[in-house]
Amino acid sequence: MNIALTAEQLALRAQIREYMASLMTPELLHELAGAQREGGGPQHRKALRQMGSDGWIVRSWPREYGGQDAGPIEQYIFCDEVIRAGFPYPFLTTDGVGPVLADVASDDIRQAVVDPILRGECIIAIGYSEPAAGTDLASLTTRAERKDGQWLINGQKIWTSYGNVADYVWLAARTDPHAAKKHHGISMFLVPTTAPGFSFTPINTLGVRTNATYYENIALEDKWQVGPLNQGWQMITAQLNRERLSLVNHGPCELLYERVATWAAQTKAGSDGSAVIDLPWVRNNLARVKAGLEILRLVCFKQAWSMSHASLGMAQASAAKIYGSEFFVEAWRLLLEIVGQAGALCSDSEGAILQGTLEHRYRSGSVLTFGGGTNEVQRDIVAAAGLLMPRYR
Amino acid sequence: MDFSLSEEQQDVQKLAAQILAQEVTVDRLKEIEASEERFDERLWQHLAEAGLLGMAVAETYGGMGFDFETLCLLVEEVGKTVAAVPVIPALAGAALALQQFGTASQCGRWLPGVASGKLLITAALTEPGNDDPSRPATRLVQADGLWSLHGHKNMVVCADRAGAVLLTAQLDGELVLLAIAPTVKGASLIPQHVTTGEPQYSLHFDGATVTANDIIARGANARCAVQSMVQHTLVANSVMTLGVTETMLRMTAAYTSERVQFDRPIATFQAVSHRAADAYIDVENLRLACQQAASLLSKQLDASESVLIAKIWASDVAHRVSQSSQHLHGGIGVDRDYPLFRYCLWAKQLELTLGGGSAYLTRLGDRIAEEFKNRLTSKVVAIDAA
Repeated sequence: MNIALTAEQLALRAQIREYMASLMTPELLHELAGAQREGGGPQHRKALRQMGSDGWIVRSWPREYGGQDAGPIEQYIFCDEVIRAGFPYPFLTTDGVGPVLADVASDDIRQAVVDPILRGECIIAIGYSEPAAGTDLASLTTRAERKDGQWLINGQKIWTSYGNVADYVWLAARTDPHAAKKHHGISMFLVPTTAPGFSFTPINTLGVRTNATYYENIALEDKWQVGPLNQGWQMITAQLNRERLSLVNHGPCELLYERVATWAAQTKAGSDGSAVIDLPWVRNNLARVKAGLEILRLVCFKQAWSMSHASLGMAQASAAKIYGSEFFVEAWRLLLEIVGQAGALCSDSEGAILQGTLEHRYRSGSVLTFGGGTNEVQRDIVAAAGLLMPRYR
Repeated sequence: MDFSLSEEQQDVQKLAAQILAQEVTVDRLKEIEASEERFDERLWQHLAEAGLLGMAVAETYGGMGFDFETLCLLVEEVGKTVAAVPVIPALAGAALALQQFGTASQCGRWLPGVASGKLLITAALTEPGNDDPSRPATRLVQADGLWSLHGHKNMVVCADRAGAVLLTAQLDGELVLLAIAPTVKGASLIPQHVTTGEPQYSLHFDGATVTANDIIARGANARCAVQSMVQHTLVANSVMTLGVTETMLRMTAAYTSERVQFDRPIATFQAVSHRAADAYIDVENLRLACQQAASLLSKQLDASESVLIAKIWASDVAHRVSQSSQHLHGGIGVDRDYPLFRYCLWAKQLELTLGGGSAYLTRLGDRIAEEFKNRLTSKVVAIDAA
């Protein structure tokens, strides 16, 4: 057993950290500090194209696409550093939908979509959830019907992040309303956001901006239906498993822990000259974050290692998602306590501590316990797959 | 990065699991519990014959020369069965320290017996009111070229049958690690009754004679030796906690899957399965904490932080998984005719050994404060403005 990164992996991490630092120009940082915080603005698009032409996007892809077949541990390091740098990287496009398209889409689509993805010129939004189909996703009612040799799409999706800036929506729609079970009869479509009948409205959440997207008599040629007809459910679950893995990276929390600890060491607690970090309860909070964070780091690397040995179990993936998402909520609280009352100052305020990062983090962090597969369902999976306990039917 | 066990380690794990499963039946545990000694001599000899007691003892002294990480596999299996054998104080506490810090003659005197099972050595790390062996109240007093020992050690496992006890004392403010026979004149044993029933003794010294040959390390060397003993003991305790909680969790999953109330197995209630799922996450997280600490200690890399984190997790997980297991079992979980109670007792004893998690959380916090204050003064990290 050797639970340490290799010299090559450490060098890769340093290389990516340095690269990302050069990518995060003042112009990009300015754009990300404003209304286009989630990405999709001109500076963000420019940086993404840069990453494409510098070969970072294709890196994790198979060699037949010009990639380097980067292993899961290397890819985890990449994800972690990119997120740590604060760059809104479209993982779901580059590592979620992209490889699926490369595998099963027609040559036509590959040229039109896969190549631009690898060049950093294409962003794809995910169209799964609907107002009445969240955790119970298989209840979705957006439909795709055959009409005059084409598909006609009608319905509404919700929480379509990037829906306002994306080039396509990766859409789950019902193609067989008479299927025996509700998770049969679903198919996947790639919907160009330029198609007539597509529209969106913003949803401003506690933390970030997302969208509701609408599909009104959108006519699509056959080629936009991707993968086996009526068997979209398998593609959705495979992709959700991949998504779950990138939800709980440890890097951003580690960075914030270090920033808060540094702040606490620098900041005087009062007139006696002692620092905030000298307060026993502050040390206690930092220790609790550190003890949790170290395990999250190991959980993430163990997952990546398991994937590279093709042995990632369902219970393991779900356990990581539960632990990581709930740890984050706790960590933001413990770190906010250290900053104290000023922790409530927003990023644009005079006197904000650490640019108000914590104030934003606690607002946006609450979605993780239910987003990406709610933790109740994850616990069902852990009990069934990890402990072989029977499920209620 | 590699989370897998080597083939050799897998063999050791299999062998240990096989012997323990065969020897440690509920009937055997009851037999031991009813006995005066509360020690499974037959199992101890069986482990010795299989080479497992000498696993981490160098080949020169009749052992197999494996590392601490491999020894932890035996400790985990002992935890899974709550066998009445003192593998932690004997093998992870005393023998490893002796091997690393003792002279060749000291090693030659004790270690072959450890490996063969002919001789048991143990460690006395705690005193009344003091769980930190690097600050002993026990004193060595010099007189006529010899030393005499004065003081009181607490909760010494198997002191009654130990050929030697490793313990610390101070000699005019200097830390000393020594090995002393508990039968020596001026030493007395008083049996103590601990929650698991493990044989533990308070050990009183009133002028017991200590010779130069009994002294293993002094001063800075003794501080290193004691730190190493404490770290190996803490991690081994965490690993045993892993074994104990793994079994509790399996028992709980199995019981709730069978137990029917309201016409269905209670495992099908989410309130039940989710609490079990939380225990599963706890146990798997503890496994990672243990693996990291054991791996660093084996490679003799700086493990200080990992050891603290393993102990903090082990203490929390012991408490939580034990309580959840009892709760989800309902009444049968506290019935002494059902095997769960032994694991709950061990979970609490392990949680408290060398102090509880809160004490170690404080130490981790102090380390962190030190680290970040040093970073400021050494200006390694510029003021964060990103």
